[in-house]
Amino acid sequence: MHCVREIAEDLYWIGANDHRTHLFENIHPIPQGVSYNSYILLDEKTVIFDAVDWSITREYLENIEYVLNGRDLDYFVVNHLEPDHCSSMVVLFDKYPNCGIIGTEKAFMLMRQFGYHVDGHEQIIVKEGDTFSFGTHTVTFVEAPMVHWPEVMVTLDLTNGVLFSADAFGSFIALDGKLWNDDVDYDRDWIDEARRYLVNIVGKYGPHIQLVLGKAATVLDKIKIIAPLHGLVWRTDLMYLIDKYNHWSTYTPEEKGVLICYASMYGGTENAAQCLASKIAEKGFTNIKMYDVSSTHMSYIIADAFKYSHIVFASVTYNLEIYPVMHSLLEEMRMLNLQNRVCAIIENGSWAVKSGDLMASFIEDKMKNMTLLSERLSLASTLKPDKETELDALAQAIIDSMETVSTDPAATKA
Amino acid sequence: MSEPEPEAKPEPEHMAEVAPEPEAVAEPEPQPEPEPKPEPEKPAPAHMSTVETHEREVASMLFKTTPEHEELRMAIREFAEREIAPIARELDDNNQFPTEAVKGYAKNGWMGLYTPKEYGGAGRDVLSYAIAVEELSRVDGGAGVILSAHTSLGSYPIEAFGTEEQKQKYLVPLAKGEKIGAFGLTEPEAGSDAGGTETTAVDKGDHYLVNGEKIFITNGGEADTYVVFVSTAPELGLKGISALIMEKGMEGFTFGTHYDKMGIRSSATAQLLFNNVKVPKENLLGKEGMGFKIAMATLDGGRIGIAAQALGIAQGAYEKAVEYAKEREQFGQPIGVNQGVSFKIADMATKLRNARFLIYSAAELKQAHEPYGMEAAMAKMYASDIALEVTNDALQIFGGAGFLKGDMERYYRDAKITTIYEGTNEIQRVVISSYVLGKLGKSGGGGGSKAPAFGAVKLPATGVRKLQMINEGDAQANVDSLVAKLKNDGYDFSVGIPADTPIAQAERVVSGGLGIENADKWYLIENLAQAAGAAIGSSRPAAETMKYVPMNRYVGMSGQKFTGNLYIACGISGAKQHLKGIKDASTIVAINSNANAPIFKNCDYGIVGNVEEILPLLTEALGTEEKAPAGPMVKMKRPRPPKPAPIGPRMVCGGCGYEYFPEKGDSEAEVAPGTQFADLPEEWVCPECAESKDLFIDMTYRGL
Repeated sequence: MHCVREIAEDLYWIGANDHRTHLFENIHPIPQGVSYNSYILLDEKTVIFDAVDWSITREYLENIEYVLNGRDLDYFVVNHLEPDHCSSMVVLFDKYPNCGIIGTEKAFMLMRQFGYHVDGHEQIIVKEGDTFSFGTHTVTFVEAPMVHWPEVMVTLDLTNGVLFSADAFGSFIALDGKLWNDDVDYDRDWIDEARRYLVNIVGKYGPHIQLVLGKAATVLDKIKIIAPLHGLVWRTDLMYLIDKYNHWSTYTPEEKGVLICYASMYGGTENAAQCLASKIAEKGFTNIKMYDVSSTHMSYIIADAFKYSHIVFASVTYNLEIYPVMHSLLEEMRMLNLQNRVCAIIENGSWAVKSGDLMASFIEDKMKNMTLLSERLSLASTLKPDKETELDALAQAIIDSMETVSTDPAATKA
Repeated sequence: MSEPEPEAKPEPEHMAEVAPEPEAVAEPEPQPEPEPKPEPEKPAPAHMSTVETHEREVASMLFKTTPEHEELRMAIREFAEREIAPIARELDDNNQFPTEAVKGYAKNGWMGLYTPKEYGGAGRDVLSYAIAVEELSRVDGGAGVILSAHTSLGSYPIEAFGTEEQKQKYLVPLAKGEKIGAFGLTEPEAGSDAGGTETTAVDKGDHYLVNGEKIFITNGGEADTYVVFVSTAPELGLKGISALIMEKGMEGFTFGTHYDKMGIRSSATAQLLFNNVKVPKENLLGKEGMGFKIAMATLDGGRIGIAAQALGIAQGAYEKAVEYAKEREQFGQPIGVNQGVSFKIADMATKLRNARFLIYSAAELKQAHEPYGMEAAMAKMYASDIALEVTNDALQIFGGAGFLKGDMERYYRDAKITTIYEGTNEIQRVVISSYVLGKLGKSGGGGGSKAPAFGAVKLPATGVRKLQMINEGDAQANVDSLVAKLKNDGYDFSVGIPADTPIAQAERVVSGGLGIENADKWYLIENLAQAAGAAIGSSRPAAETMKYVPMNRYVGMSGQKFTGNLYIACGISGAKQHLKGIKDASTIVAINSNANAPIFKNCDYGIVGNVEEILPLLTEALGTEEKAPAGPMVKMKRPRPPKPAPIGPRMVCGGCGYEYFPEKGDSEAEVAPGTQFADLPEEWVCPECAESKDLFIDMTYRGL
């Protein structure tokens, strides 16, 4: 049966939830599911903003049919062409052969490239600042290149203040009946997954997010509702979310805190990580999060790396190199442009300790704007009491360096 | 530069057109004469036949020098034989500069042979100058290079790049020989690669403040006027080098000791030391940043001089060998009848003639303002290479007699430097091949510049240091301030380690160097080590030469490495090797009487002062009581070297996320490293997605 929700007058949410897909983009686990949001406006002309993933196309078509209630579909606006929003497009275009398609030039290029049959439909190529009227509603288009694809734009309905924000401001977690941000305790139950979603997928494109935020700032008073393609629809506390985006896209930590990631084969390195955590807490600083890199999906560690100010990398030496999972983590952080963190190293090796130097040069040479503490805990196989002073020095250096970090995005401005 | 002289302009391709006239390759006339010594009035050159004056119109086609050149040659040869040859051995033995002889050069007008007469010179040509260097070197290689360095290195850059005022003030007395000139480019970190210049000149309005040092400077200490290359903008590398005219006697401009060299010992070679030398702005040669260009242009010409020197040395050895081959008899006849000897002589003569043609041709090209850089490099490379061969063969002909101290072995030693200075022969080959091949590839092969990466931060050899010079007042005040700073850094002087703790395991070391003048003063180090709770170390010469401590206690790259916390260097100047051995020290303290010692550029705290005064005060201030045993060492924090700052905006593509770093450029599009994004051509597109430049945004862009 259809399952639709009214967002504003003549505007309906027609998406669906997905709990059967286990890996988003076939890489990130989504244990709490995800929603694919699509919206339909019933003006003098009817218009759909973005489509959904193939997996829920059957429900989606039913929702459209229900809301249109016999009317034809006049326009389809493509804000973002990634297949989790577009694979259903093929069926949609077959079913509504008269609908015109509105998108950026690159969106049309990609639609042809993906094999969505756009030819035969009216094709309206729009650019930054163009407006389009569907009757009483006039929308304007804002290009958002590389957030996180090149064709992306966002559409602002100037009549009712709804911003169709594409992937921006979205989140993992299926809606499961809820729709609005104020339906949930967002800061308690949703922000971690919203962060994990954003930084793993769009983390690399901080400057591009800033470009869009800059454009949005000029029309902020006009924005009443943010309607993203995943997760809850925002109608209150917009600045809460914008502030989070400002942190993530400027690579500014949200909190002063220590993320300890350890890669341990037989527990020696893990023990050292635990001793360090304990030492830091003993000294009175308790905002500590710890992950076993081998058994935690990278996306969770990356998310907390964007959250906290400090990262401790604890790794064994493996084949005279960094333990592979730790090496992957570092690579992932580099790829996602993570910056402005204070880093510390615990290294371990039983005959030739190499991981510390290798991690240090990775952090210093391959990552941007990282501060590496010169204190390092170096152990041979297992941590022994003779390392007490080194351990203490490292814990103290981490605490001392808290003073040097700022959680204010303005302070990380280059 | 002086105006071109059209009458002296040879066709560049004239060499290829010459037919091998038997006359042109005739054996040198004086040689077959059985006279034991060439008479001064008949010293016709070994390489060419003298010709009658009426043949001069075809002279250039015969590759002969003019009678004027040969008259000059004879005059200089006569002078050299009379004034220098008799004392050459003494000059060599005593490392002695031939002051009187150089006055003689001046009196004869040879100190400015090619400088125009209006600037006090002889107004002759470059070839005359080459002949003069050749003839002086023929009796003494040192005597020749004095003139070469004076003329082509010390005077020429002022002639070519100086203002009228600079020429009047400096060039005129140089050309007249009232003053001696020199040239200062080489430094410990800059030789073949001038980009490493570390001597700095800071703009102070009406003057530059110069600090640094130059090494291996010919005429150093003897010269009055120095063209010195300094960095006025270190961040620009080669483009930040400028040339200054400096005078002996400027306050803070001193000289190191005269080097003890293998050869050319009559030429003075010294270190130039600059300690806050004020050089008036009007002494800037050319413009700021033109230094590298001036240096290269000067060295091109200087190579002709060095080539002539090499030729002269070889010529001198050759003549003596020829003479000896005729005189020395074995098995009842002169050894020259043996082909083992005569063939050597044939080869030597051929090489000399070859070298001479290369040199004179380069000199003529220079005089005619034709391009001559490659030809000068060829002349220098070839003449010096064969100088080694010729002096070696000449000495071989002399046999055991050549191995005794005397002229032969002196020629042999003198020749060696010519393949090294004024650009090593390896660099000459880089120069020549770059003319032939142009710029191939990216790095230019082994000869490419090892200029530091863009934006690289130049750090002291010991890494990031505080570089605090303590100068609070008298010695006592300085020592007290130092002790306060060390205690503030966390050093506890109530504890200590045994003086014989291995250096590698020591938490603290007090080291002494040659500033401790004799073994009787070593107690200064022992007392200070006790008071500081430190082990005792030394510089390499303090252990090796002075034997103050066993060899296993000297600190340095080749000796023991100190990786502990506190290192106190007393009377150690700070050679590179020593500095590398202490780069991991947490704190370096330097005490030395020479404010210019490199150790002060590599320390955290420095006190300029005599060790005999400072060390007892420091010992007292640290406390001479018995020290409690120190616990396990806790390594103190060392700051990490700063990362280089970006040289310009880094831009990210709005079509794909590709990042453009100006430091890297875009090799596939042949965009050189260092190219700013703004300077990319308009048609440049993103190498990954072909988007145009306007879709790029600054990676530091902030929308909010």
